[in-house]
Amino acid sequence: MGLRDRFNSFSGGTRFVVSRVFVHLVGQDVAPLLGVLNQAVREVMEADGDMQVLGEQLAQVCDRLLEYETFWRSAANEGDVTWDEGEAGDYVSDLFTDSAGRYGSSIDGASGEPTNGASSNGVNGDEDWTIPITQNLVVILTVAFEGEVPELETSLADVEALNAGLKALINLHHRGTLRAVQIHFSPAQIGDDLPSDQLIEHFPELIPL
Amino acid sequence: MACSLAWTTAACSFSQDYPASDAPAQPPSQQTQDTPLAAPTPLSDGTYPVQQATYDDGLGEYSLMLLNAPSGQSLFRSAELPLARLTDEEITAGKSSELRVENGTPALYLTPDFRIEYVHNVTETQADPQTGQDEVVIVRRESNFWTPFAGAMAGQAIGSLLFRPQYYIPPVYQSGVGLSGYGGYGRSYNDAVSRYQSRYNAPPVAYRNRQFRSSGRLRSTVGGSPRIPSTNTRVNTNRPSGSGVGNSDLRRNDRPNQQARPSNRGFGSSRRSAPRARPRMRRRR
Repeated sequence: MGLRDRFNSFSGGTRFVVSRVFVHLVGQDVAPLLGVLNQAVREVMEADGDMQVLGEQLAQVCDRLLEYETFWRSAANEGDVTWDEGEAGDYVSDLFTDSAGRYGSSIDGASGEPTNGASSNGVNGDEDWTIPITQNLVVILTVAFEGEVPELETSLADVEALNAGLKALINLHHRGTLRAVQIHFSPAQIGDDLPSDQLIEHFPELIPL
Repeated sequence: MACSLAWTTAACSFSQDYPASDAPAQPPSQQTQDTPLAAPTPLSDGTYPVQQATYDDGLGEYSLMLLNAPSGQSLFRSAELPLARLTDEEITAGKSSELRVENGTPALYLTPDFRIEYVHNVTETQADPQTGQDEVVIVRRESNFWTPFAGAMAGQAIGSLLFRPQYYIPPVYQSGVGLSGYGGYGRSYNDAVSRYQSRYNAPPVAYRNRQFRSSGRLRSTVGGSPRIPSTNTRVNTNRPSGSGVGNSDLRRNDRPNQQARPSNRGFGSSRRSAPRARPRMRRRR
């Protein structure tokens, strides 16, 4: 703890931590996870972004990611600590913009494709043999919380650390200290692909586990 | 709900403030959203007497019924509308509450007794009968009124500032009791939010609701109301598809050119000189 940190903690200021975690999974068996992710964001949309619902869905996604540990291929994380709430808020907002910029937003083709139903029906589509199954899946989880969580404030680019980090995210929800939550993932649905060249181009920070 | 309105927008182009033309929040329980997008044409400079004003605390949005407005523009909506009190001289001279637009910037000038209709959204956490999961729904809306400049109340703290347009956030809602005065005020919306927050130790509900963002394949909505319809949904980018949602109840500084992040207290897998840096690669398979 630096001098300034110590001063801030004595003076009773609130410590804000902003943390973003990338998890990259590989394999045909990861496709069902897309159903989980789409279900999660749909719940959030239906609740108009209610923070409690977001926290629940974050915990749910982390839980399922932990089950898929054998498919983790690479990961990355970044974050910062601040005593200025506004600064944390700005950082969170910038991270959303950056995360969303990693993937495209166009629904081109998708609206006319028969596979479009997968986005609203979750995993129903994976029984359709004609749908190509993505090999790569990237999940980006961003949180801001109050306090200190050493499991997250470190490098998560190794399997044990990532495991502990995801569990710490779940605990944050139950502890009620979350102040911001973002869930992003690419590709958007079963039937879409995230080819390896795009993975390298848009997620350059990923470090092999 | 509002998602049924099909439109999308570039994933990285979300702005943080929402155009005045946004429709008000619809209760999430509603299945359809039939409010058409208001014409984005801004009101031209001038003074428009206000017949009726409504504030919806779900999104913190004002809806004004204006007199003398060009046809089709008599309903004015804005989420960030500064308020000011008419001076006693103006009131003696017979002025009544009005919307003034100067250089394209609207401000609402009110008499001290003007009652803004206040629509309060009562939310409840209920279990979805189909999935058994808890979800937050607007169970009903209560109607009340808010007099921002009633009596001496508002005047004490800010004095002559009352007569300059400023952003106001209503006080904490109490069922069945008319609201008067303010919960926060400031020269910018964010100042008002931050004063509110230091007073009540929590940001206003409307502010929390407004930070909700979604991106990518999701039909983007904010607080249940559709945003700018995209004119070009087919952008040929070499980008994978994706979806994202996020919300925050953190205040923001909205500093344009934030200093480099992360700071020296930053952490993460790509921190090259971080004191806590760990071996970066540990192949597992």
